[in-house]
Amino acid sequence: MKVRVLYRGQTKELEFEKDRVSAGEILRALHLSKEYAFVVKDDEVLDDKDHIKDGEEVRVINAISGG
Amino acid sequence: MRRCLKCSAKSVVYLPQHRLALCKEHYLEWYLKRVEDTIKEFRMFDRTNRVLVAVSGGKDSLSLWDALLSLGYKMDGLYINLGIGHYSELSRKVCEEFAKSKKAVLHTVELEKDMASIPSLKEMEKRPVCSLCGQIKRYYLNRYARELGYEVIATGHNLDDETATLFSNTLSWQLEYLKRQYPVLSEGNGFVRKVKPLFKMSEKENALYAFLRGINFVEEECPFAEGASSVEYKRLLSQIEEKSPGTKLRFYTEFIRRVHPILKQEGGVPIGACSVCGEPTTSDVCSVCRLKARLSLGSSSSSPSS
Ligand SMILES: [Zn+2]
Ligand SMILES: [Zn+2]
Repeated sequence: MKVRVLYRGQTKELEFEKDRVSAGEILRALHLSKEYAFVVKDDEVLDDKDHIKDGEEVRVINAISGG
Repeated sequence: MRRCLKCSAKSVVYLPQHRLALCKEHYLEWYLKRVEDTIKEFRMFDRTNRVLVAVSGGKDSLSLWDALLSLGYKMDGLYINLGIGHYSELSRKVCEEFAKSKKAVLHTVELEKDMASIPSLKEMEKRPVCSLCGQIKRYYLNRYARELGYEVIATGHNLDDETATLFSNTLSWQLEYLKRQYPVLSEGNGFVRKVKPLFKMSEKENALYAFLRGINFVEEECPFAEGASSVEYKRLLSQIEEKSPGTKLRFYTEFIRRVHPILKQEGGVPIGACSVCGEPTTSDVCSVCRLKARLSLGSSSSSPSS
């Protein structure tokens, strides 16, 4: 399955070898932790265990900043 | 499914360090109360003070501005245009739009006009660009706050910024830096009072507040911050935090409660006024004026007429 991810102003396409993934798995695929990042779908903040289906679009917000 | 502790609706936020699940409405309420309590606990300012908030367009500074306006404080913004290409242009636009939507005053400093942009300063400086940039921002913030008559400067430093800095300063026992690490730095010697009302809020808490309030903030990173050591420390500390929630908050609050008072007893370095610009400094000419002097030397020696 494929999920379109809007991340830091860019769109990425992530591919998974199954038909649904959890928000936590999306974060791990981007090497992010729920300690500082979260997934948003349809303007709702998702819980770690909430699922995303094939073809859906999510936004990932990574709160870590440098400087 | 977790439910809101206050109203039992489906929660949108879970904060492991506080063992707290909250819905949108009660998260925003919790956040504002925590900011207000921090301001009162450290006597940062009150509703009669004129406060200037340093805004970068990121989630922390805009959440701070939004929260303080919501709490009824008098707050204007200062944006320093660092001249970092697309990143700075986007940041400026986001700050201007936010100010307009709140009918708030936003002052802007053009670094390129006053001295030079960060990318050109980077070329002539050996030290890491983030430390140079930080110093320049502190300089202009203090100078403009003084010139414009503000009594307090508020910055959006969060718990992750503070613990990463504390960790870094502790690793090399930078006592002079540790001495100055405190949520309130008093006014005096040419310094305007500086406060960090968000120092108990994690980066994620600020990002959640900004998102849930519908604030448009810049998510892109400054291109120069790539690979900054502070990001490495933040990632390391988040791994510890994941295993034992509450570690970051304890590390920082116990430092300011138990260690800072001891460090403070030792007097600091004497501070005077820069003989060129009048801003506080420990030497005769402040570091920004020295940088400016090198800039003008550089441009005259490279011009064909000299
Ligand atoms: Zn609730
Ligand atoms: Zn000076």
